[in-house]
Amino acid sequence: MATETKYENAIRQLEDIVEKLENNELDIDEMSKQLKKAQQLIKLCKDRLTKTDAEIQKILSDE
Amino acid sequence: MPQKALTLYELNSLVREVIESTFDHAYWVEAELSEAREVRGHCYMELIQKDLFSPTPVARASAKCWKTSWSKLRPKFESVTGQPLHAGMKVLLLVEPNFHEAFGFSWIVQDIDPTYTMGDMARKRQEIIHQLKAEGVFDIQKELQIPSFAQRLAVISSENAAGYGDFCSQLEHNDYGFKFYPTLFPAIMQGEQVEPTIIASLNQINRQIHRFDVVVIIRGGGATADMSGFDTLALAENVANFPLPVITGIGHDRDESVLDMISNTRVKTPTAAAALLIDNLANVWKHIENLQNSITTQVTQHMIQEQSRLDRCSERIPLLFSMVKTRQEARLERLSSQITNNTKSHLSAQQQRLLLITTGIRPLIERGMLNERHRLDQLSIRLNAVDPKLLLKRGYSITTLQGKTVRDPSQLQPGDEIETRLEHGTIHSIVK
Repeated sequence: MATETKYENAIRQLEDIVEKLENNELDIDEMSKQLKKAQQLIKLCKDRLTKTDAEIQKILSDE
Repeated sequence: MPQKALTLYELNSLVREVIESTFDHAYWVEAELSEAREVRGHCYMELIQKDLFSPTPVARASAKCWKTSWSKLRPKFESVTGQPLHAGMKVLLLVEPNFHEAFGFSWIVQDIDPTYTMGDMARKRQEIIHQLKAEGVFDIQKELQIPSFAQRLAVISSENAAGYGDFCSQLEHNDYGFKFYPTLFPAIMQGEQVEPTIIASLNQINRQIHRFDVVVIIRGGGATADMSGFDTLALAENVANFPLPVITGIGHDRDESVLDMISNTRVKTPTAAAALLIDNLANVWKHIENLQNSITTQVTQHMIQEQSRLDRCSERIPLLFSMVKTRQEARLERLSSQITNNTKSHLSAQQQRLLLITTGIRPLIERGMLNERHRLDQLSIRLNAVDPKLLLKRGYSITTLQGKTVRDPSQLQPGDEIETRLEHGTIHSIVK
């Protein structure tokens, strides 16, 4: 509703990362850090869409 | 004296005759239906006229439409209004009076004007819309957005109808493998119970609102059914004010009902509602993939750039190094030859100087010697010039007293022994 959900927030962070990359704002170290973060966010969102809550719980508890 | 009594049949016949003679044609009548039912193909209606200020009807009558007429009138009516005849509707009927001795009085319906009913329905709908706009709630659902991750669905639908089942099945078997979590809040989707049951379901959902992302109100398709229940103010207000976006798919393919107008999104069928929700997630998925691709492209590009940069630098190093080396060697070379040249010319200069001096020395010495000789000669000449022997030669003499030269006679004492040197000898004398 008014507040962002965790997943909408994740998408916004991803958009942010893309913008920073396009504007060349990241040096190599920062870029690799953000890349890792982006991969996590993408997995989070994609899992939310295609895995059931039960599966997600299992993944989270296995990590 | 009592008049002769009629039989009931005779009495009723009288009534019949009067009616038949008075009413020689059919009349169009406006009335409200308080009841309408179909039995064996005939339509039986209860007509009333309500007074504005009282709930009690001021007029009431029964009307029938026999199968032969009704079989034509019903499709005509339903095709225009999109609804079957039902209680609460206002209708315009062409009726003929019928009084039968055995069955009593009834109006027989010959025709019906569906546009009147439409007009009334439209009017009622306009009133509701007006009211909603005045309350400022007509558009507010449209201000909500279906969230990106709309997966937890509160579905209001009929428990038994196919609509819900098809809807869920479609969601479960979507091509992308998206997961949805629908929960059914049953309600009655036709007739008078529409308003109260849907409102009750909405209230129930509201109590657990944090568990859901959207509300979906769907109704299975099928033959034109009674949609009037969806055109009520209370229902519209409830949906308009609902805090989650409401998607309506109640199967109207003609005029939208008020509910469709005020909901966040309107679709035609439960299938379309499912498709909408699936597409919504598909868009998010696509967006994520685009972002993913952008990131990959950007990072790859940057890495390539950095790699090129590195390569370029490392390519240039040997070249630059050899340039520097060459330059420094040249410099060393230059300096070295400069040193050599300078030393040589310095040596040469010194040698020249030495040579000059050397060659200069002899003449100088010789000249010097000459000068000295001259000098000596001069001195010698002068010396010789003052040589006493010359003087003696000239006839002078030198007198000495005890070896010292006498120049002044006063120096002499008588008795001194003096010597006087002449050119050819010496005179010894004693002073007198």
